[in-house]
Amino acid sequence: MSINSPFAVKILTTFIKEELSKSGFKKGILGLSGGLDSSVCAFLTAKALGPKNVIVLIMPYGRSFGGEVEDAQDVARHLKIKATVIDIAPMVDAYFKRHPTGNRVQLGNKMARERMSILYDHSAREKALILGTSNKTELLIGYGTIHGDMACAINPMGDLYKIQVRELAAYLGVPEKIRRKLPTAGLWAGQTDEVEIGLTYAEIDQVLYYLVDERESKDEVITRGFRKAHVEKILSLIKNSEFKRQMPPIAKISSRTVGHDFLYPYNWDK
Amino acid sequence: MRVVLAQTAPRLGNIKKNLELHLQAIEKARKEKADLIVFPELSLTGYKLRDLVETVTVDPDRSKEIRELKRLSKDIALVFGFVEEREAEKGLFYNSAAFCAKGKILHVHRKVFLPTFGLFEELRFFAPGRNFRTFETPWGKMGLMICRDFLHYNASYLLYAGGAETMIVISAAPGRGLSGNKGFASSRMWELMGEAMGRFSQAFVLYCNRVGLEDGVAFAGGSFIFNPMGQRLAQAAYFQPELLVRELDMNEVRKARKNWPFKRDDKPEVTLEALQRIVRGYVD
Repeated sequence: MSINSPFAVKILTTFIKEELSKSGFKKGILGLSGGLDSSVCAFLTAKALGPKNVIVLIMPYGRSFGGEVEDAQDVARHLKIKATVIDIAPMVDAYFKRHPTGNRVQLGNKMARERMSILYDHSAREKALILGTSNKTELLIGYGTIHGDMACAINPMGDLYKIQVRELAAYLGVPEKIRRKLPTAGLWAGQTDEVEIGLTYAEIDQVLYYLVDERESKDEVITRGFRKAHVEKILSLIKNSEFKRQMPPIAKISSRTVGHDFLYPYNWDK
Repeated sequence: MRVVLAQTAPRLGNIKKNLELHLQAIEKARKEKADLIVFPELSLTGYKLRDLVETVTVDPDRSKEIRELKRLSKDIALVFGFVEEREAEKGLFYNSAAFCAKGKILHVHRKVFLPTFGLFEELRFFAPGRNFRTFETPWGKMGLMICRDFLHYNASYLLYAGGAETMIVISAAPGRGLSGNKGFASSRMWELMGEAMGRFSQAFVLYCNRVGLEDGVAFAGGSFIFNPMGQRLAQAAYFQPELLVRELDMNEVRKARKNWPFKRDDKPEVTLEALQRIVRGYVD
């Protein structure tokens, strides 16, 4: 699963540059959490567009988990890119004051969508295209908020597993402090992805690689020595999150329908 | 013969812009004093057309773009890719390649093997060609293939049996698979075929692949030339535009074929009869 990092960076930076110019944008914008994925995305975008053309929004919920804002600001300073801190607590709190919930996933999803909403507003203000930071692991197991952190105009990292993102981070020179952090979606204080999912990224990525890239069957992957319960769990995560990876189905009435047989390339005349 | 492989990035669905790209590259090739310039698959239209196919068709006998390219071929031969729709076959769209020289189209090849699996959906939008024919050129007999055609070795064999001394492959091959090695994993597959077909057909293999991105898919580039001994004469960079220029010594075909008499000893009639027996024996 190891990749040729210099070549991967060349492909991804070319992708970012070309997609922006095809869409008529000079600047890119992304949400920076201080974690690994968004830091790598910021590094790639700065390399592709030059630091002057990158804007990052740092959007903490109050000061509850501490540290992340400073780490994100360090990345921005290191890359010499413009960073704006926007606290989402006033907006999120205003909503939950009127519609209270004790469900922390619901709270987390609302925060992710609040960030999305702010990013899209700033995209329009700054005339900057939004870069997504979801990796292949998250996309495949559906570990993201639909219309939240999964919302973007282009996603340069969606075909890189978490462990490959880590490999790329080292090559790009992402500070070690960020590379050593335990992955977290930042949904609540102390939350980590691996505890919440119940599996390690090392295992998930291996299993996904055999199931998806190598097109192996469940039994073939189990025969390789992975635990049956783990493989089955990963398969069910993939299956139950398909809705997050597709446009919503459209009820077909006419002879030619968006999404069914009205088929144009995304880069139409680009 | 001096050849140029134009490893370009066509614009998706815009013939006018792509014709300009052709003219620019032809101008450069002229300055290199090239005899032949080869463009990638669907160089006039871009690759991932889907429902745009019907909006970018050209009839080689009537299209003004092809008239312009034919005119330019008076002093440099051209190979380019386009979506073909003839007056006599309305509504049938072919993924085609044309060879023009001396102001005329010497040959049009329609892609026979249309990949339709995984990320490819060509049979959904194109009609398949039915033949692999060689044709006479000022530099000896040649044959054309388009991308996937080249991965079916029977295609190369038919051109070899038909007397081709040069096989020209135009391609829009996406790069797939990254490992610790150089370039894409999928590029190795094309290079392996280039080496084998050059060596065992004892012919020149000119493979021109495109670059650029369409809807997130990166085209790998890495265009190459193998000589009739299976030696790699030149290779373009992966995933970046380049005009690859190389002088070919056409005497190498004779040299290869007299040193290793594969061509002399070939038995196409045995192949033909055996294939007929195999095909007749099909049970559904």
